[in-house]
Amino acid sequence: MNNPVDIILSFVLLSCLFSFGSSRLPGLIKVLAFQGVVVSIVPLFIDHHMSGGGILFTMVTLTIRGIVIPLCIYLAIKKVAIHREVEPIVGYHASLLAGLGLIVAAMFVSRNFDVPDSTSVLLLPSAITVLVAGMFLLMARRNAIAMVLGYIMMENGIYLVGTTFSAHARHIVEFGILLDVLAGVMIMAIILQNIRRTFDDVDTALLRTLKE
Amino acid sequence: MLEFVFLAPFLAGIIAFFIPRNLGRPLLVIIGAIHLLLSILIWIRRPVSMFPEYFAVTPEGLLSLLVISLLFFLISIYTTGYLKASNIKSEHIFTGSMLLFLSTMTLVTLSDHIMVMWIAIEATTLASAPLIYTHRTSASLEATWKYVLICSVGIAMALLGSVLITVAMDVGKVDASISFSSLTAVAKSLDPMWLKAGFVFILVGYGTKMGLAPMHTWLPDAHSEAPSPASALLSGVLLNCAYLGIFKTNNIMVAAGLGDFSGTILMVFGIISILAAATFILKQTEYKRMLAYSSIENMGIIAFGTGVGGLAAYGAILCLIHHSLIKSSLFLTSGNILLGYGSRLIKGTGNLVNRMPKTFVAFFAGFAGISGFPPFGIFIGELLIILGTFRAGHYVGVGIFILSLCVIFAGFANQVLKISFDDTDATIPLPEKAVMVWPQYALLLTSLVLCFWLPGTLYQTIMNAVTSVGGGF
Repeated sequence: MNNPVDIILSFVLLSCLFSFGSSRLPGLIKVLAFQGVVVSIVPLFIDHHMSGGGILFTMVTLTIRGIVIPLCIYLAIKKVAIHREVEPIVGYHASLLAGLGLIVAAMFVSRNFDVPDSTSVLLLPSAITVLVAGMFLLMARRNAIAMVLGYIMMENGIYLVGTTFSAHARHIVEFGILLDVLAGVMIMAIILQNIRRTFDDVDTALLRTLKE
Repeated sequence: MLEFVFLAPFLAGIIAFFIPRNLGRPLLVIIGAIHLLLSILIWIRRPVSMFPEYFAVTPEGLLSLLVISLLFFLISIYTTGYLKASNIKSEHIFTGSMLLFLSTMTLVTLSDHIMVMWIAIEATTLASAPLIYTHRTSASLEATWKYVLICSVGIAMALLGSVLITVAMDVGKVDASISFSSLTAVAKSLDPMWLKAGFVFILVGYGTKMGLAPMHTWLPDAHSEAPSPASALLSGVLLNCAYLGIFKTNNIMVAAGLGDFSGTILMVFGIISILAAATFILKQTEYKRMLAYSSIENMGIIAFGTGVGGLAAYGAILCLIHHSLIKSSLFLTSGNILLGYGSRLIKGTGNLVNRMPKTFVAFFAGFAGISGFPPFGIFIGELLIILGTFRAGHYVGVGIFILSLCVIFAGFANQVLKISFDDTDATIPLPEKAVMVWPQYALLLTSLVLCFWLPGTLYQTIMNAVTSVGGGF
């Protein structure tokens, strides 16, 4: 465990567990911001000969992921939903247990893959964990903002895979992911505003009229 | 010149946000006509892009591009009538989004780079979301939320798949540009394990957008809540665009010698989609949702045919083209019914044959076409898929396939007959405008003509597209 990347990645794993346990939206946003920062600095420690442009790009990513997006969401919900619960479908304790199980499963699965000359044993497992944890939040929370946060967490997982494994196309991959997060969050925020205006709430249980 | 075909609608779309509504409608038609002209020019001249690493003219892309152009032009004519008849508050957002949507879909057909393809498909989601929310009701809001959330997650999966393919290059020590054409050329030396994982994620991701079950849940909502011209675009061309991503990735798999793996998965997803459509179409109470489930069925058929390969792959491309033509005409017709009767429910309609005779002709012909009756093209496409599947020896698959088609036909026919011939209290004919009927006739006629007379250049292009997956006779 003396590799710095492993230490950073264990923070990423911890943030996943924290997010499963947080019951209030502001707490969840803070966890997400922390995870955004930590995930963005991973490439700095993996690539030892990084160009100035690369460092700049990483810094931009860090600012957007760790500061801009969380702040935007925080400001967006400040008026209505600030002290709201995330309305879990799966309880917090069950979620935490599932999270632990997920980490073990991710470790187990990632042994089957032939990782390209990686420096860290934790890289693939934590990427899988973050990805699946994001999907879990998407499915197990009814609050629309918690769902958006789950989506952002999923993107964090993809970012981990993209920037650390594919040396080949790093910049275009980074660019794509950044675009995805920005555009996705923006359009979701617009819809959230509309949902709030129409229903006076952001609970997706209200969105149940269209079904078979 | 290649770039101009998606830049023109993009610029026009941005302009459309700021101009008054009486200019927006003609702008839609003018851009539609320019786009069609440019597409035909590209078809004839096959120009090379200024950025060959990112964009290329491929046979499958060309086919989709021409279908998009033709559809958009006819739909834009219909839209002028539709906008006059219906009461849409923020019309400039609608026209602007339509044009941006056209631009992003054109970008999908021309992109050759994995990441550009992905960005373009993501952009189609963003451009089409405002279209679904046009009516500003709570139901349309729900449909938009579902559409954006489910498709964003799906597209994120596709992004992961694209990233995994670049990992497959690194592990396999391949040095090439990450475009579909160069990857297909070096497919043999890619790492098979990562490539397989990449394909699965891309299939799930773009499959969400294409409407393959079980990721299809957004599709009936979005298609039924969007205004009819937008539904026609969503169903007729957006699904094709997503299919293009899957088709090109499948080409890499076949070139890498993993065609059996990818083909089996495609067949399984195809069969599941057809079965899902058969289950839900039987008890539909809304006609636009019924059409949406029929789209899921057809996408299933196309995925199934592509998975089988050979003769069936040729049939799948035929189905793809004819489904676009016929289904978009049906959605436009459903717009007429909605405007006439003012109800989405099948119960709220009836006696279409007397109340809207011109619309009835388009509706019934479209129904015959989409359920695979001769003389429309889907008949030939499905027949070729069935023959190809028998030839490949997948007897169980073809059994389920034929049975589901029968069930879907029965369910579909039941509802269509209700709409067309059921007695209603009122019998006064409803107004029908020529501009809102002729585009459907033109679409159906195109399908009819293509069934009897396939121009040599079109035939050659389809053959070029499917030879990579071992298609053809």
